[in-house]
Amino acid sequence: MSRLYGDPIEVWVRDGHPAQFVWRDRLYTVREIQDHWVVAREWWKTSDADPGERRFWRLGAAAGKEVGTYELRFDTASGGWLLLRAWD
Amino acid sequence: MTHAFAHLHVASAFSLRYGTAFPAALVRRAAEHGMDTLALTDRDGLYGAIKHVIACHERGVRPVVGVDLALDKGSSSDDLFGGGLPSTRPPRGRHSGHGHGRGTAGEPARVVVLARTGGWASLCRLVTAAHQAGERGEPYVTPGMVAEHATGPDGGPRLTVLLGPRSGVGRAVAERRDDQARALLAAWRAVVPDLVVEVSDLYGYRDANTAARMIGLADSMGVPVVLTNAVRYLDAADHQVGNVLDAARKLVPLDGRHLDDPTAHAYLKDGAEMARVAARICGGDTGRAARLLAETRRVADRCVLDPVEIVPLLEPERPRLHLPEVGEDPLPLLRRRCEEGLERRGLERSAEARDRLAAELHVIEKKRLSGYFTSVAGITDMIRAMGVRCAIRGSGAGSLVNYLIGIGEVNPLEHGLLMERFLSEGRKGLPDIDIDVESARRLDCYRAILDRYGEDRVACVSMMETYRARSAIRDVGAAMGLPPHEIDVIAKAFPQVRARQIRAALSDLPELRDSGLNDRSLETVFRLAERLDGLPRHIALHPCGVLIGNSTLRDRTPVERSLLDFPMSQFDKDDVEEAGLLKLDVLGVRMQSALAYALQEVERVEGRRIDLDAVPRDDRDTYDMIRLSRTIGCFQIESPGQRELVAKMEPRTMHDLIVDISLFRPGPVNSDMVTPYLETRHGFREARYPHESLRDALRETNGVVVFHEQVMKVIDIMTGSGLSEADRARRALGTPEGREAVRAWFVPLARENGYAPDVVERAWKVLDAFGGFGFCKAHAAAFALPTYQSAWLKRHHTAAFLAGVLTHDPGMYPSRVILDEARQCGVDVLPLDVNHSGKTWLVERTGPAEDGPGEFGRGYGLRVPFSAVRGVSEAEVDRMVAGRPYTSLADFWERARPSRPVAERIVEVGGFDALHGLRPGEPRWRPGRLTRRDLIAQVGALDRGSPVGAAGQLPMGFTDRVTPGELPEMTEAEAVEAELEILGMDVSRHVMDFYRDLLDALGVTRARDLVRQRNGAEILVAGVKVATQTPAVRSGQRVIFTTLDDSTGPIDLTFFESVQAHTAATVFGSWLLAARGVVRRTGGRAVSLRAVHCWNLADLDHVWRTQGIDAVRAVISEVPAPGAGVGGRAIEYGNGFRVSPYSDNGAPPAVREGRFPGHPAAPQRRLWHASSGSSGPPPGR
Repeated sequence: MSRLYGDPIEVWVRDGHPAQFVWRDRLYTVREIQDHWVVAREWWKTSDADPGERRFWRLGAAAGKEVGTYELRFDTASGGWLLLRAWD
Repeated sequence: MTHAFAHLHVASAFSLRYGTAFPAALVRRAAEHGMDTLALTDRDGLYGAIKHVIACHERGVRPVVGVDLALDKGSSSDDLFGGGLPSTRPPRGRHSGHGHGRGTAGEPARVVVLARTGGWASLCRLVTAAHQAGERGEPYVTPGMVAEHATGPDGGPRLTVLLGPRSGVGRAVAERRDDQARALLAAWRAVVPDLVVEVSDLYGYRDANTAARMIGLADSMGVPVVLTNAVRYLDAADHQVGNVLDAARKLVPLDGRHLDDPTAHAYLKDGAEMARVAARICGGDTGRAARLLAETRRVADRCVLDPVEIVPLLEPERPRLHLPEVGEDPLPLLRRRCEEGLERRGLERSAEARDRLAAELHVIEKKRLSGYFTSVAGITDMIRAMGVRCAIRGSGAGSLVNYLIGIGEVNPLEHGLLMERFLSEGRKGLPDIDIDVESARRLDCYRAILDRYGEDRVACVSMMETYRARSAIRDVGAAMGLPPHEIDVIAKAFPQVRARQIRAALSDLPELRDSGLNDRSLETVFRLAERLDGLPRHIALHPCGVLIGNSTLRDRTPVERSLLDFPMSQFDKDDVEEAGLLKLDVLGVRMQSALAYALQEVERVEGRRIDLDAVPRDDRDTYDMIRLSRTIGCFQIESPGQRELVAKMEPRTMHDLIVDISLFRPGPVNSDMVTPYLETRHGFREARYPHESLRDALRETNGVVVFHEQVMKVIDIMTGSGLSEADRARRALGTPEGREAVRAWFVPLARENGYAPDVVERAWKVLDAFGGFGFCKAHAAAFALPTYQSAWLKRHHTAAFLAGVLTHDPGMYPSRVILDEARQCGVDVLPLDVNHSGKTWLVERTGPAEDGPGEFGRGYGLRVPFSAVRGVSEAEVDRMVAGRPYTSLADFWERARPSRPVAERIVEVGGFDALHGLRPGEPRWRPGRLTRRDLIAQVGALDRGSPVGAAGQLPMGFTDRVTPGELPEMTEAEAVEAELEILGMDVSRHVMDFYRDLLDALGVTRARDLVRQRNGAEILVAGVKVATQTPAVRSGQRVIFTTLDDSTGPIDLTFFESVQAHTAATVFGSWLLAARGVVRRTGGRAVSLRAVHCWNLADLDHVWRTQGIDAVRAVISEVPAPGAGVGGRAIEYGNGFRVSPYSDNGAPPAVREGRFPGHPAAPQRRLWHASSGSSGPPPGR
């Protein structure tokens, strides 16, 4: 089962994809990109002319030996990363 | 990569309310990306196909054309193909929330069908079939239909079918119904020989995953796979526009659920980006990705079309035209008919006519157009045989052949008209013959043409209506979820300008600047509305074009049904010409209907039959009337400007009318041809010619160049190049570059022919000033005839003529102005009367006819018709007319069966006054006497007494008698108010009568006294607004011309930009106006006023009634605060002619909106003529 978090995280990007990230004081290394998609922001709900898009990754990553599945989100307008979900 | 990527799935702006980019822009971008092939696959039709093929041809890109069609979702037999959607609509909210599934709930599955090389005809026929199968605007296909068109008669494949993510197969894969996907694909493969699976990845949720599994499925079944980007944008930034279009198309507010694309990736990506997409889908399997791109390339190669096959005019030398069949060899047929024509027109002994005929036939036969001319002659014969008035218009009047075979009634030799202006050897393109028919019978004419040639050979031409300011604001406002009434107010506040001018208009126009629309909250609405500028939104029947072809017409153009169920080509008039299809323009002209109606009334009332075409064309009384500017209602010469011009010019002959019509055009007015012409005409100065040899060509207009034909003659005489070449040069004069080129050609050639340098320079100046403006004399000659005919009828059969004008509304003025003109002519205006009124305006004898100089219409009356009553239906009118005479209101109620509001309205405007002996407006009403109010009460009683299905159950004797009530009769003012409200015109009295006392108290000058005012005097005037126009004027300002009517005549006011800051809102927003202005005398009897200030007369009246005359004086003596004028940079034409961006040059004359909901005192119907200027600021903001 997955759990929702929505924690701000720090991410290192390589070739346009996340390579490493720090979540709850642990460093995770990305092993595989399982899925990647984008969603345009609902611009009509904001006053910005172009609120940008949100980029999502579902990926396998590990802080130690155990590889887990995580969903990360990058917001082009704010430049911030979130860890949205994690699967046990 | 050795080969460039080819986009095979591309929607342009011609995918209505879906695409955002025009074909030419897409092709340009593809060429910039280095792509050598590009497809256009618009939704539901081939509307942009011709433009795409032309653009590809110009850029050296190979064109592919296809269509994106919906699959039938209703029929259960095709359930398998429909993609497993439940046969009933899926429940709301059944969306996955991400990816392609989003926004597609309830939408039909779609397939893309490409024409293979040589498959254009099959594609056209499939599209036509799809439109025949579906509802109008919602075409669909079944796999069976696709299969039927997919192979040619030889069994070879003609169409390539692409099953993509939006097809049934794609949906089944996305929803992980793998067995169903496999079964569907197998079923398609069984019926379509060239079947391909299409994958795309727009970076939406699961897009790549679905694509990968579609590849897996296709590979396992051996079906080729292609990669597309389902393009609908040029740039990613167009995504927001796409969102708005999705919402507008689905009639829902913007919401993630309703969007077709949740990402901004459906733009025209370059080859490298597409290679990345391929790699992403194939998950790093580089071999598979390369195969995917190679297969895409192979499909593109086999679908490349030959541009010249589709657009024959790309090869102008010997275009493969689509010619009509006439049953026999058309060449001798046309020759024979021309011979007969020479005899019939009495020209068989004229050498000039014979020479001209030989020259014309030479060109016609060389261009293989004999069949076209005979077909058109057959059609005009047929139309006249139907009893419909029919006249030739435009350059076609310059052809002797057209005159001889009876297409037109204008003899080109008589007026010096040239064939080359219409058709010449050197001219690219096809001639088109334009004919005018009665507007009320236009569709009858279309039907007759269809019946004669059969649906396979005939189609109407279509046109795209595009987004302009108002429509764009409406659609964006709705998408953003603004309340409908608010959207309405905002949209109507804007003038009829382009959508991209919205924000400029907000800051430029005084009446909008202070309106509160500049609010930040509307910023997004306006910004997006501007982005919709010019996008097609709706396809409509072109107002006149009819294609006449042969039995293969359906191979050349896709056809759908118009709103009125006419077969309509998906191509517009430009496309049709490029596609080598011949068309005839059959234009409905209201004046022709008005003339026909007038003749019919004369015959009915007087028992006299008039042959209007045989009426002498030199009638003195008619020209006297024109000279006095009594031309309201007449064709072409009724506008304030024309009334001024005819008064100055004093036309005496048909030729004078031809010149007058040609002079009153933006070109001549702005290059100031009018003044020199008038001065020489009246002998104030000598006519001047650049050279003696040009005297013949220019004599008819006193040395001033007015006509296209004269420009052609000048060029021909001085260069010796021939008229055909001269016409080509004349066309080039329209642009600055063209003028440069013509100069470089003309000057040396004229010098070579022995003309002195200063002569050449003078002649060139004339041509340069002309600048492509001016008017085709053939066109003016064709117009002058109905102009004269209408004036003749007005002078000699005034009531009948005005009945025609009121019934068919051919001109610029609303009914109440025509009624006032009738009164000025001595014609009585007779109120609605249930026993005398008809369906349309009827003439009645009211006394002995008097042919006095001013009141030439005396002795006749005009009866208000039933159809003038607001809200009355056609069926009601028919019953009312059929049931006459009536004995009482109850009798009328029972037999004419009007709706209750309509019956009440008829009582209110006096329809029963005569029958029940009412005399409203009399001051001596006493209780106990019957009133209109009593009758209205009885309508209520009758309505309650006749439940549905039980009409007429009340005993007659009971309801025939009406008991008088206690209510007093309507006052005169109330009666006129009711007339304005219900009929849209003041019938019993002029509405200004009620302000007489106020006007007298203020010392307001009346229209009839204007001629006695000295030049420069500052005076007050007042009246009902009749017309406002903002035409293009020489200075580049936006000038508002307003005409007031104060019951003694018209008053013309001019508002320059310097006063618009404090007057524009009032001028556009009020119906009754008082104004202060300075008298300008412009001619013997012509007077106009330069306005200084103006007020809403109804407001002044209110001040007067509540606070007295001094308060009114205080209001009108206030000095307005200085404010900014009209902004916006003037548009400058090549010849130095500047116009305001808000002038209505070029606006269609049909644009008439007099409705303004702003002032509560203003009636809600069209009461004045308004040009496409702003209708004023929204109220209450």
